[in-house]
Amino acid sequence: MTLRAAPGSDVIRRVSKATAVLQVFAVVLLLGLAAIFVVIIQRYSTLQDGIRENALWSLYQLDRETRKLHEGVHVAIVEGDETNETWRLASQRYDILYSRMNIVQQGHFDRKLGGEQDTGPMLDEIDASILKLEPIFDEINRTGAISIDALRQVDAELDVLMGKTEGVLVYANTAVSADRAEARAALLSLQLKSAGLVGLLVVSVGCLIFLLTRQLRSVRAAGLSFERMARDLRGSYLAAEAGNRAKSQFMATMGHEIRTPLNAILGTAELMQLQPLPEKIDAGIGTIRRSGEALLSILNQVLDFARSEDGKLTVEVQPTSVVDVVTAAVDMLRDRAIENGNRIELEIPSPHRFPVVETDPTRLKQVLLNLISNAIKFTEGGTVTVRLEERLNLGGARLHFEVIDTGIGIDEEGIRKLYQPFSQVDASINRRFGGTGLGLAISKEIVERLGGTVGVSSKKGVGSRFWFELPVIETTSLPAPAAVATIGPLPTLRVLLVEDNRVNQQVAAGFLKHLGQNVDLANDGFEAVEMAAKNDYDVILMDMQMPNMDGVEASTRIRAMSGPRSQTPIIAITANASEDDRKRCATAGMNGFQSKPISVEKLRGVIQSIAPTGLPAPVDDGLPAMNEPSFEARRQEIAEVLGEDGFAELLAHFFDDAAMLVAALEKAAQSGDGATRDRLLHTLKGAASNVGFQMLADECQDMRQRPLTVETVTEIQSMIDDCRRRLAA
Amino acid sequence: MKTGYHSLVAAAMAVLATFAGKAEALEVPKGQVVLTVRAPHLTHANVNGTAQFDLEMLEALAGRTATMETPWTDGKVSFSGPFLRGVLEAAGATGTALKVRALNDYAAEVPMEDAETLDTILATRMNGQAMSVRNKGPLFLIYPFDKDQNLFNEKYFSRSVWQIKEIEVSE
Repeated sequence: MTLRAAPGSDVIRRVSKATAVLQVFAVVLLLGLAAIFVVIIQRYSTLQDGIRENALWSLYQLDRETRKLHEGVHVAIVEGDETNETWRLASQRYDILYSRMNIVQQGHFDRKLGGEQDTGPMLDEIDASILKLEPIFDEINRTGAISIDALRQVDAELDVLMGKTEGVLVYANTAVSADRAEARAALLSLQLKSAGLVGLLVVSVGCLIFLLTRQLRSVRAAGLSFERMARDLRGSYLAAEAGNRAKSQFMATMGHEIRTPLNAILGTAELMQLQPLPEKIDAGIGTIRRSGEALLSILNQVLDFARSEDGKLTVEVQPTSVVDVVTAAVDMLRDRAIENGNRIELEIPSPHRFPVVETDPTRLKQVLLNLISNAIKFTEGGTVTVRLEERLNLGGARLHFEVIDTGIGIDEEGIRKLYQPFSQVDASINRRFGGTGLGLAISKEIVERLGGTVGVSSKKGVGSRFWFELPVIETTSLPAPAAVATIGPLPTLRVLLVEDNRVNQQVAAGFLKHLGQNVDLANDGFEAVEMAAKNDYDVILMDMQMPNMDGVEASTRIRAMSGPRSQTPIIAITANASEDDRKRCATAGMNGFQSKPISVEKLRGVIQSIAPTGLPAPVDDGLPAMNEPSFEARRQEIAEVLGEDGFAELLAHFFDDAAMLVAALEKAAQSGDGATRDRLLHTLKGAASNVGFQMLADECQDMRQRPLTVETVTEIQSMIDDCRRRLAA
Repeated sequence: MKTGYHSLVAAAMAVLATFAGKAEALEVPKGQVVLTVRAPHLTHANVNGTAQFDLEMLEALAGRTATMETPWTDGKVSFSGPFLRGVLEAAGATGTALKVRALNDYAAEVPMEDAETLDTILATRMNGQAMSVRNKGPLFLIYPFDKDQNLFNEKYFSRSVWQIKEIEVSE
């Protein structure tokens, strides 16, 4: 993908710089304009200050009044008029001239008239001339008479005065004109300056607009290219996601494909073990089963991880007794711990503040099993401690789970790799201990889904401490425990088994027949619907994934039929027990759900759950009540498959073997051969638990931890004798 | 506010002057005539269809004293005299425009509003002294520059006629 946005952003940067420069320039220009404006304002204010009587007009009036007076006097002289009217008129004319003189002589009359030359001396001369006439007019006013002589005198004086006033007037006119021209020039220059500035301002604003337009265009182009990039990215992401989905789908399909034959193998092996077999073959089949189960667990881990990567790892919270879950997990692995020569210790606080919390018991158990089995795997002849604590933090109460071992430990670099998918501390670990390297990654995912955190601390050669914390979501009610399947004779039901895989068909049908059920087979959904319509079944066991018509579709059709047969209970049997599947089953009207691989126990549970209530109570077979319950259960289980005779035969074998083992134990006790002793006790324990003598088996297990003496052998012998006596009774 | 007060007082005086004018017909001037008011219809004419005033008659009318600077005098000067509108009422003159004429036959056109809305006075005294012709007398049309600075410009300077001898009112 090309980054087309880069040149665009370059343009934007360049334009931004130019814009900034232009902005500064425009500001400078504006300041210049403001300065000019200030100058103009000052000019005007001086003009305002200078508001005064128009000097030129005053001088003109002065000249005019002089001429009027002169004219009046001259006419009087020519006409020889010495009447009252003449002197009054002349006197008034003089007064007016006098007042005109006062105006130009007063303080703020501008004597320079804006020009260079001061008209002061000229005006003073005029003043002096006018004042020279004052005594004459005063005399005229005083006497109330006028003489031609006086008029001649005035006339002569006025002739001179007229020349002077005219001179001043001409000068004033020139000066005022010059001043006006200068003022106009100054104003013009100011105007030109401001026009220049305005012009520059217009140019710079124009440039700004141009640049901004370019910038906007670039921004738009950049935006479009980003959008294009986003679109490309989205496309790539979708393509990648589609690829990932295809991969996940492939993994799910492969998982299913692998699981189907594996289930067949496990089922067949279980079926075979239900027969009395020579010891060697039985052991071989045991190996096949264990290996198969190990393979199944690895497969489940891989599928879990695929789901978690896909974001489909689901947790299903429900009121859970945490202590029960922890205890069950520890119990499941106790044997393995002992096989590795490890002691396993369980530390649980008592009393519990939170006996029941909201969490997913299955997932919690999965995490615990993963951590504990890791601890057992990497520890030899040490101790694995499983600790549950209830911690009260600021954020609320938390359940703190710890699995501490005294195993090989992990160095710091190794710790960093932990919880990463596909990682093991180093390659040699894989060679030595095996494993997928996914367990911790899945555990982390699960804990985080449950709102918790995980952590680890370890020291190489000393041991490790893996912990996780879950928030306590308190709940009060624990659902009523599922009715413990009563071990008793199963009712005989008519079962329709719908399964496309032939081996699975055989296995499941074999189990069902051993459980005394009448089994009909359907190879796909179509057949199932047909058969369910024709016959009355007590239960239909429906595989989910089948060719032609799958289980969900078949169930939907059966429920859509008319008549009571449409209500036949349907139990789904599937390899992928996801939440989605459960929902689809429920929607299709199925009654239950059973995950593969199918075992006898699971089928027994199914049959018992379906069996109509009010079954006949288990018949008393006359055995004394003294027998321990585990024996009774086991006896029934075996008897159902092998028949009572078969069980009796099995018991006979056991007692024969036991006698032999006890004899060998006696020998070992005398010679002090520890290894042989342990092997013998283990064998005896297995044999005892196989026929249901649980107390004996426990005792054997217990003795493996203690030194073997002749007394203890005698003790075992007496226990075996007890069992025999009770049976005989 | 102050202006408002002043105009109120002025209006009151004007009303009083109107009553006074109506109560007694314009008498014939005893002293020297300083002002002649002419108009097409003059209700209180006293001499030959005109209204003539001597100084005493003018100073008997309501007026004001205003202290101000003018372009034609040095420093602050106080002017006192009757309101122009009072004089026109005393003469019984109505119209829209006035032509104010000076001794030298200089005449300025003054709109009637200047008399009605502004406190223009026909100043008879400057600094308490009667004004001689040499000192812009006998009458000087003074605008209230002290009350309103906006009047201080050439437009009103040209209407500020001095050495007034006659007012002609036109319809």
